[in-house]
Amino acid sequence: MELGLDVQKKGSHAIVDVKGEIDVYTAPKLREKLIELVSEGSYDVVVNLEGVDFLDSTGLGVLVGALKRVKAHDGSLSLVCTQDKILKIFKITGLTKVFPIHDSVDAATGA
Amino acid sequence: MPVVRLEIPPRSPYVGVVRLAISSLARTAGLDEEKVDDIKIAVSEACANAVLNNEESGSDDPVAITWEEDADRVRIAVADRGPTVDASGSDAVDTQGFSTRAVMSYALLKSLVDGCEFEQRDGGGMTTRLSITR
Repeated sequence: MELGLDVQKKGSHAIVDVKGEIDVYTAPKLREKLIELVSEGSYDVVVNLEGVDFLDSTGLGVLVGALKRVKAHDGSLSLVCTQDKILKIFKITGLTKVFPIHDSVDAATGA
Repeated sequence: MPVVRLEIPPRSPYVGVVRLAISSLARTAGLDEEKVDDIKIAVSEACANAVLNNEESGSDDPVAITWEEDADRVRIAVADRGPTVDASGSDAVDTQGFSTRAVMSYALLKSLVDGCEFEQRDGGGMTTRLSITR
């Protein structure tokens, strides 16, 4: 099981396109990528979850951890997600109140 | 009443294997796609909790997943031999007020299936019992 992680820069934003399943096995790879971006000075991060088929509490924990890191630099972490099955996970755990969730990368970056 | 048993090493790469098996069993049982997804997430959470617990302690005892179905419902048990933990998430929030992974996992387990109970096992470890009505 592979997790695809592609990063593009768009203005001041770093956009991480995630593909595959984010679970207890793959979430550490996402955590490493997000830590790397923040340590390189990318404090406005968009995580695009449109290519994600599965997300568990470990993945949510990684996103919360990344949010704390960017907030420490007055940055932002927003998500792109329109899939009902993934949005449901954010709703159940109350994270729709924590993350701005957009329906496109353009909406997330204010383009 | 079909019964299927699966054992995995208590390590994270195998949780995806359980998801594939559970999705396939749920479709074979005729559950609709929303219930297939719900049960897949709940079983994956129970397995992730077991795996994290065992990885931390270095235990190698397998995690046993048992699927049972009858006319009304499907029952799944996930049993491990890891150290005892408070599955309800004793540390609900961190120092900055964010929910911890454990408490988010507990919320998912309690919301996605019709029944979710945690039992201590004789001889150590825990069983998570999940049920979903057809």
